[in-house]
Amino acid sequence: MEHEERYYTMMMSALDEELPAAERDELMAHLHDCPECGREWRALLAIDLLFRQTPLLMPAVDFATRTLALLPNRRLRVRALGAVYGLLLLCGLVPLALGIFLAGRYAPVLSEPALLGHVWSALVDVGRLAATVVGALFAGAGRFVIEQPAVVGWLIVLAGVVFLWGGVFQRLLAQPAAVESRN
Amino acid sequence: MNDEQVWLERARRGDKNAFGQLIEAYQGPVYNLAYRMLGNSGEAEEAAQEAFIRAYTRLDSYDPAHKFSTWLLSITSNYCIDQIRKRRAVLLSIDEPLPPHPALHSDNHKGPEAQFLAQEREALVQGMLKELPDEYRQAVVLRYWYDMSYEEIAEVQKTTVSAVKSRLFRARRQLADSGMARGMVPEEAEVEVMV
Repeated sequence: MEHEERYYTMMMSALDEELPAAERDELMAHLHDCPECGREWRALLAIDLLFRQTPLLMPAVDFATRTLALLPNRRLRVRALGAVYGLLLLCGLVPLALGIFLAGRYAPVLSEPALLGHVWSALVDVGRLAATVVGALFAGAGRFVIEQPAVVGWLIVLAGVVFLWGGVFQRLLAQPAAVESRN
Repeated sequence: MNDEQVWLERARRGDKNAFGQLIEAYQGPVYNLAYRMLGNSGEAEEAAQEAFIRAYTRLDSYDPAHKFSTWLLSITSNYCIDQIRKRRAVLLSIDEPLPPHPALHSDNHKGPEAQFLAQEREALVQGMLKELPDEYRQAVVLRYWYDMSYEEIAEVQKTTVSAVKSRLFRARRQLADSGMARGMVPEEAEVEVMV
């Protein structure tokens, strides 16, 4: 019911001690007149009291000591991370410095038109060779599929079986092992 | 700089003993949150340990502009929600009655009657919490045991304040229904509105 929702919202604000005085009086009057809402309010108050009176529970006395013993070595981690970052930095800096040094030293030789022409033609030759090899492979594979469809079919079935068993194997590996207790 | 900030700074540089001070200071809140979320003392202790280990390894990502306790409790509650989902995924039954918290057995300062009542209340609270959806339970625990504001709960749950209000609204309603079903409602008592 609409009136229920409205008074329920007021009851929640009252529980949070945020209900303005005017609304509080209105709610009080309503709770006296409406037995249903009065019952709900008493239930809410009882729950509120019960929860507020239930104490905070403490762990076993040696909890802090045992937890402290489980903490990982943060200093070691910080040092390891520092080493990794240092290495990464070196990995970037060394080639950069080397590149700048080599460019400075060999720039006159590298910028000669004849040398650049040779490098370009070598790259074109390598590209042509790669295209010939890939083309031959595709042509051979196409011919094989046309001439030996049964073999191709068997290969597909075999691949399916391997894929299926791979999935089963992964699932077996993912089975949970016995949980080791910390304590 | 207060003690907590000093410990945090030292822990950030790899001082385990400084982090040990933080564990000492927050073991209760972290463990309690894990227990309220998981409802089992063994799992709660493991979750609390894991939360501290995660906090220690991720200290660099902690933003000092926010409260350390909120950050730590956020790690704990998110870990607990993951655990609950995993537990569901392996189809473990969570409907079996859980053993009461060991602290309730070993509290010799209370008489047997008080101890019994505490156990009863604990079982009732955990039973009611268990019926709530994970996000509602998380919001209720953070609100009642940690007195967190809606903004802080929203930060922990990585959601909006209005979503938190809506979750708490529904959770309280569900809890009230559950309380009524359990006969918890005092009959015809004088109604009074808190301000």
